[in-house]
Amino acid sequence: MIRNASAILALVLGVVLQTSVLPFHVAEPFKPDLLLVAMVYLALRGPVASGALLAWILGLIKDVFSGLYLGLNAFSFLLIFLVIISITDLLYAESGELFVVTVSAATLACMTVNLVLLLMLTTTPGISYSMTAGLLPHLLANAFAASLVTLLPVFSSPQEEL
Amino acid sequence: MEFFKKFGLLLLGGIGILGALIFYSLNIPHKRSANFVERGVMTAFAPVMKPAARMSGFFEDVWDNYLNLVGVRQENLRLRDEIKGLNARIVATGETVLTNQRLEKLLGMRNSIKEPSLTVSIVGEDLSSWFKTVVIDQGSSSGIAEGMAVVAADGVVGQIVKVAPTTSRVLLLTDHTSGIAATIQRSRARGVVKGKGEGLCSLEFTTREEDVKVGDMVLTSGIGGVFLKGIPIGEVTMVKRGEYGIFQTVTIRPLVNISHLEEALVILREPHD
Repeated sequence: MIRNASAILALVLGVVLQTSVLPFHVAEPFKPDLLLVAMVYLALRGPVASGALLAWILGLIKDVFSGLYLGLNAFSFLLIFLVIISITDLLYAESGELFVVTVSAATLACMTVNLVLLLMLTTTPGISYSMTAGLLPHLLANAFAASLVTLLPVFSSPQEEL
Repeated sequence: MEFFKKFGLLLLGGIGILGALIFYSLNIPHKRSANFVERGVMTAFAPVMKPAARMSGFFEDVWDNYLNLVGVRQENLRLRDEIKGLNARIVATGETVLTNQRLEKLLGMRNSIKEPSLTVSIVGEDLSSWFKTVVIDQGSSSGIAEGMAVVAADGVVGQIVKVAPTTSRVLLLTDHTSGIAATIQRSRARGVVKGKGEGLCSLEFTTREEDVKVGDMVLTSGIGGVFLKGIPIGEVTMVKRGEYGIFQTVTIRPLVNISHLEEALVILREPHD
């Protein structure tokens, strides 16, 4: 119960931090995607059964506060979650370095999936330029945010029962 | 002998008191000059009195300074608190003055718009860097609906795209999916202002023959029914006409500084076709 409440509180804090606090202090391209970081954490350390649904919900929450297309990030997050889950047995999930690398790879994958979906299903001319131009700073910001997560006590706590 | 043993002490005391009285009566100041006793005692104490006085003065100073220091420390703390309070008031006053200036400009814009409008504050930004939306602090409970135009003191901000009861999201004019029917103020050339990301816009569908120059002011044309006619959008910063093609490339810098936007006006008019 306390664990769930803490997770919800962390989620709300993350959203508020990303929408209302960080934009006033961080240059725009360096905005980290805290929800993506949370999703990767969930994939590597969280429960599999409810994890897929949670990953989809995280993406949905991101869509509510970003862009115009509800379901875009929800789809990307779910897809990336399932890919990570499928290879997580091969990985040493408790490694901080692996977490940072996985977040970076997930950032790339998320942007690619989003871009493909946007180009295929919507009319957003010029979005590919904006996304490509913002890729490197976004990647760096996410990797930095992920490296900060590895310093949190929750990261060193034992992995949940699968 | 027996008498002296019995009353000696009493007698001695009485003689002493009597002697003291006589000594006192003899020295009743009909003349004020010091006698030999006074002079002798004063002379005897003189070498000690000066250093003692100095020493006493020193300790008095130390004590006074200590007491003062205790007072100064307390005063220092009080003054620091006062300075903090005053600094906070100065900052708050400065902020109030700036807010007042911004709202005054916004009020000017509000008065120039014939339709009813609602002042809103920006409370959040888009989670992604490549979509350009902001969150405002008013929603459907205040009469806001999808499609309504949002303007600031300097000009167009964007339009409402998602509405919740207490918050709404505004699609900024710099977003890739934004499109606003516009006209060049000087030559009345028409086009559609589309977002380019990166804080810039472009004027599209303006044919090569149309007269567009750098520095021209771009206004809303009113076509489309979302924005009222004549609201400033931005200034032309670049015009490129290739050898081929029907249209010219026109880049516009929005007048509203989106990254520093804090308040805006939602024009409470349902868009119509």
